[in-house]
Amino acid sequence: MGNLSRRRFLSATMYSAGGVLAAAKFTAPAFAASQPIKIGAVLPFSGGLELFGNQAKLGLDLAAQEINASGGILGRPVEVIYEDNKTDPKTSVERATSLIRRDGVLALTGPITSNARDAMAPTLERMKTPLLYATNYEGGACDRYIFGFNTVPNQELEKLIPALKENAGDSFYMFGADYVWPQKMFETASGLVEGLGGSVAGIEFTPWGVKDFAPVIRKIKDSGAKVLLFALPGADGITFIKQAEDLGLLDEVTIGFLGFAETYLGAFGEGKGQNMWVTVPFAASLDTPDAQDFVAKIQKSAGAETPISHYVMTHYNSLKAVQAALEKAGTVDKEALVDGLEGLTIETPTGPLTIGAADHHVTMNMYLAKTEGQELKVVDALGSIAPNALCS
Amino acid sequence: MSELAITLLDACNYALILLLVALGLAIIFGLMNVINLAHGEFLMLGGYVLLAVKMAGGSFWAGLVLAPVVVGVVGLVVEELVIRRIYSRVVDTILATWGISLLIKQLIVIGFGPGSYAVEAPFSTAVPILGTSYPSYRLFIMAVSICCVTATFLFFFKTRTGLAARGVIANRTMAACLGVNTRRLDRLTFAFGAGLAGLAGAVISPLISLDPQMGLGFLVPAFLAILVGGLGTITGPVAGASGVGLADNLTATFLSPVWAQLVVFVLAIIVIRLAPSGLLARKRRKT
Repeated sequence: MGNLSRRRFLSATMYSAGGVLAAAKFTAPAFAASQPIKIGAVLPFSGGLELFGNQAKLGLDLAAQEINASGGILGRPVEVIYEDNKTDPKTSVERATSLIRRDGVLALTGPITSNARDAMAPTLERMKTPLLYATNYEGGACDRYIFGFNTVPNQELEKLIPALKENAGDSFYMFGADYVWPQKMFETASGLVEGLGGSVAGIEFTPWGVKDFAPVIRKIKDSGAKVLLFALPGADGITFIKQAEDLGLLDEVTIGFLGFAETYLGAFGEGKGQNMWVTVPFAASLDTPDAQDFVAKIQKSAGAETPISHYVMTHYNSLKAVQAALEKAGTVDKEALVDGLEGLTIETPTGPLTIGAADHHVTMNMYLAKTEGQELKVVDALGSIAPNALCS
Repeated sequence: MSELAITLLDACNYALILLLVALGLAIIFGLMNVINLAHGEFLMLGGYVLLAVKMAGGSFWAGLVLAPVVVGVVGLVVEELVIRRIYSRVVDTILATWGISLLIKQLIVIGFGPGSYAVEAPFSTAVPILGTSYPSYRLFIMAVSICCVTATFLFFFKTRTGLAARGVIANRTMAACLGVNTRRLDRLTFAFGAGLAGLAGAVISPLISLDPQMGLGFLVPAFLAILVGGLGTITGPVAGASGVGLADNLTATFLSPVWAQLVVFVLAIIVIRLAPSGLLARKRRKT
């Protein structure tokens, strides 16, 4: 290890001395070794999901900054190249291709939506470039070159459903957007609810862009359900909650808000949208020294007003995992990265995280949380939950 | 009984919101023949004006009054800079107004960020009506919508300015020959349509998520309402919005929201196939 830390020390000095001049003094191989390791980030910075793109960027920026401050990866600095996918699958593929071909990135991170990820998958496979996907999703993306750093359905639901059953009642209504993530979530949820002896009062989907949810809200009210499992992300979800509040639904049901994160806080208005439950891999209110240290570091660069959700941490983790995997492998190339990531365990702001050697999804600590006042308050630390990645 | 009343109130509520949104579009698209894809963004601007007023410490009502005025002025500027150059090129209006909509959206993202805001309704108590209780703010929106439609109707059919405006729309050259200031009326009509969108956006903002993308979800059904109802009249959108709104809401109640969208579009296609210019289209003079 003595060698390594000396090398780290040297390159750290080199950086603080200021790049090119110092680098020029080294011989050619040393110069090549100090070429940055490029990671491409295909994220939405326009087109509707900017909030999530910005959250991801906060995490990636911090990770890159920490890695470089400690001497880089195997002596080489890491550089994250951001590309805006405009929340669009086709653009995501174009950006991914150009990052791989033109910029020669070692790996990609992002995107946010499943349709963008699925669109990118064939390109990744063909160009043998790993994707570090760090958004919670429906599971099933299993490939040598794809790694999931956020949750799959069972991780979000396994402990949430018993908690809701215990705290609110055993009749569940499920309502979400009409696409793959809510459908898979509800499939898993239905199994869990029935396994616990609860009942499913109804499952309903809605297309995107609906502005009036009164009919659905009436239906849920009439069903007599005690719990509403809710999987309608983004602005549509906010509209639904506002109208549900207005029509008195929230007095009758407790909401399990799948995919909820701090980014939603404040969108419902003062004192609104209370007592909504979720399980998350991270919450900004998590009261452990490591988590609070992480929050403080992000706030230092982003400002105290910025919400800090699990998306910040999962994207941060994905880049930290690259560092650990390459250092374990000892070389910098795509295949070494994939091999290094398999079965890897790293320390994160919420404790250890292990990447499955076969399924490429992560086992990590999860937290039961609910909205209270203006924050997402951690109710219970659930310990580590292994993913069921639903690989077929 | 109360079940039925609630279903009807919900359906009327949505139809009237849609009508309020479609009204400004009916003037700009239906009467002036400008396919205004920025209508949703005018609507969104109205909501943000209300938000800005509230952030600055003003009251909800001040925001509600200011929203149509500010958006009307924005409409005036847009008309002067862009729209007046393309009145004779209908298809080009699509491109131009789409560009304007992107511009407005991005300016809002820069100014207010991409996230959602909440605007509180000034009152939200449930009041007893038709043997059930209903949120008072929803009733207020319905009243605003009815008032706006009536006022617009009176403006276009009972005032001299309205008459002149319809004259310019029907036959621009003839109206100009008769000494009508066509430029002034174009400006006025466009600003009026934009202002109505601003009012609609402000008044419905407590019910929905106020964000830069909110316009699109209204633009599509509003266009549909006008196409189904018929171009060139004020009564057309009333029929169209009622049809689209009721069909959507009732299907969502008795089947599901997914079916609702399907049913609405299938019905719209059937109507447009059978009556290509809409249910209540004005017979256009061939020129």
